[in-house]
Amino acid sequence: MAAVLGVSAHYHDAAAALVVDGRIVAAQQEERLSRVKNDPSLPQLAIDACLALGGIDAAALDRVVFYENPYRKLERVLVGSLAAFPRGAGFFRRALRSQLGDKLWVLDQLAAHLGVPRERVGFVDHHQSHAASALDCAPFDDAVALTVDGVGEDESTALWAPADDGPRRIASIGYPHSLGLFYAAITAYLGFRVNEGEYKVMGLAAFGRPRFREAMEQLLRVSSDGSFRLRTSAFGDHLRADRAYGDELLAMLGPAREPECPWDLQSDDDRRFADVAASAQLALEEVMLALARAAHEQSGARHLALAGGVALNCCANARVLAEGPFERVFVQPAAGDAGGALGAALVGARQAGDSIQGVFDPALGIAADAGRALAVARHLGLQAERVDDPEREAAERLAEGAIVAWVRGRSEWGPRALGQRSLLSRADDVTLRDVLNRRIKGREPFRPFAPVVRDAHASALFEGAPSDMTPTMTTVCRVKGDSLPGCTHVDGTARVQTVAGGGALDGLLQAMERQGQRALLNTSLNAAGEPLVAHVTDALDFFVRRKPDVLYVDDVRITR
Amino acid sequence: MSRFTTLRELVAHFVGQRKFFFIPLLLVLLLAGGLLLLTGGLSYVAPFVYSLF
Repeated sequence: MAAVLGVSAHYHDAAAALVVDGRIVAAQQEERLSRVKNDPSLPQLAIDACLALGGIDAAALDRVVFYENPYRKLERVLVGSLAAFPRGAGFFRRALRSQLGDKLWVLDQLAAHLGVPRERVGFVDHHQSHAASALDCAPFDDAVALTVDGVGEDESTALWAPADDGPRRIASIGYPHSLGLFYAAITAYLGFRVNEGEYKVMGLAAFGRPRFREAMEQLLRVSSDGSFRLRTSAFGDHLRADRAYGDELLAMLGPAREPECPWDLQSDDDRRFADVAASAQLALEEVMLALARAAHEQSGARHLALAGGVALNCCANARVLAEGPFERVFVQPAAGDAGGALGAALVGARQAGDSIQGVFDPALGIAADAGRALAVARHLGLQAERVDDPEREAAERLAEGAIVAWVRGRSEWGPRALGQRSLLSRADDVTLRDVLNRRIKGREPFRPFAPVVRDAHASALFEGAPSDMTPTMTTVCRVKGDSLPGCTHVDGTARVQTVAGGGALDGLLQAMERQGQRALLNTSLNAAGEPLVAHVTDALDFFVRRKPDVLYVDDVRITR
Repeated sequence: MSRFTTLRELVAHFVGQRKFFFIPLLLVLLLAGGLLLLTGGLSYVAPFVYSLF
C-alpha cells in the first residue's frame, strides 16, 4: 500500500499524477495551471494540485518517480553529439548546457520541491512509463503495448508485455529512426510548431492527395519484420531543435512553407503543402499498421494498448483498429509526454507491491469551483445565478443556436476536451462551426471540430462507433449520411466522442435529444495557441475575451 | 548533498554499462562543475566554462 507521485518534465508537456494504494487519484498537466502552452518546467503547480486532490502531504509520499532515466538520456545526447562531430558541435554545447544545467538534476529538484529524502525519488524508463499508462488504463486484459514517439532515452518505438512490476520490453527501435521525428520534420516543413502543430498536419492531410508517396517511401523505409528506418541524411538537421529537416528533404518535396503565413488552400503552393501532409500521413499510417501486425505476431495478444506522442494521431489509430490484427485497441488519452507522469506513478505503485485497481476515468484534474465562479463573475459585472437544471436550460440555448462554454466537475486528462472544459454548439450548423473557428477560437480554417454523442446513438451516426477509443476522442470514424455538417471533416470522418450513461454530459445530450438533436459539436475551451482551461477564473477570462453566448460552471449560469 | 547522490548514480550508470570511454569527458565536465561549485561561479572561472559549453 503506497502513495506514489509520478512526474514528467523538462522536455515538453510537464505533468504530475498521483496513485494511492493502486488507484489513480489525480493527474494534472502543468500547462493548464501555469497557462504556458506545452509548459516543460518542473510541474510544481500540478504536483501541488495532485497532492491537494489526494488529500495527502508530500511527506506521506512513499515514492516519487520521474518518467525517464536522466543518465541514459545524457548518454544519448553525448553519443549523438560525438557521432555528428564536428557538425554537431553547436548542438553539443546547447544540449550539454541544458542537460547539465537543469535536466540531470531533476531528481534533486523534485526532492527539494517536495521536501522528501532524495532516496525516495527515482525514475523509470521513458517508454516503460508510456507503456504502463496504456496497459494499466486499458479496459481489457490479454494486451500488449506499443509505444511510439519522437525519442525516449535512446529508443523511439517499443513493444511491451504486461508484468507484475511494470511492463516488460519485448522489442524496440532506436533513435534516430523515429516516427515522431519524421512527423515533427514534416510539421516544421509545413511551417507549424513542432510538438504543437502535428495535429494540424493531420487535419490538413484530408485536403491533399498523396502524390509525394514515393518520396515518403524513400524517407521512411519499412522492413518485412515491421521495423522501419529513416533516411537520416534527409533529416540531417535533427541536431537543430528549430529545424528537423535537411536540404535533401527540401530537394525531394520542394521549398518549405514560411511559418505563420495565412492559409489559402486554393493556391498552388498551399495545395502542394496539403499534398505533402497527405503523403506524410499515409506513410505514417502504413508504418503504424506494419508495427501493429509485427506486435501481434510477436506477442500473440488479442488487444493493443497504444501510447507515445504518435498515438495521438487519431487517423492512424482508426486504421490500426480497422485494418490491423487486434480485436480491440485503446489509446491512453494523454498519450504524449504528459502521460508519462501517470505511467511512472503506476510503475512505481507496482514496484511497491500494489496492484492497479479501478476503471480509468479521465476526469482526474482540478475541480470546478462554482461558488468562486459566481463570486468572480458578479465582481466582473456579469450576470451570474444558480439554476435548477443546467442541462435542460443549456440544451434549450444550444438548440436556439447558442455557443455554450461548459465547465463541469474535475478537468479532463489529456489534450482533448471531453465535456469537463468544453465549448459546445449544434453539430448540424456549418455557420456555427465557422463562427467558432474564426471568432471564438481564431484557428486555421481547415481545422475540423468533433461531435459528441451518447453511446446509444453512436452506431446510427458513425461507422465503427462506439469503440474503446471513442470515449476519449483518440480515433476517427466515418460519418453516416450528412446530418452533422458542422463537425464532419472534408474526408467524411469525425473525431467522435461517445458518452456512456450517468454523467453531466450524458444528461445534456439527453436534453438535446428532447430538442431533436442527437449530437453536439464539442471543442476545447481555449483559443488558438492557449492551453485548455482548468480553473474557473480562466474560464471566465475566456468568456470575457472570446465572447461565447453563455458559460455554465456546474449549476451556475453566467451571461453578459 | 542530494547532488552527490545524482553524481554517484551517474557514475554508476556509465561504469555499470562498461562505457569507460565516457569517463574522460565526464571527468572534464565534473571538474568544471566542481570548480563552479567551489568558487560559487566567480567570474574568473567563466571563460573556461563558456569555452566548454
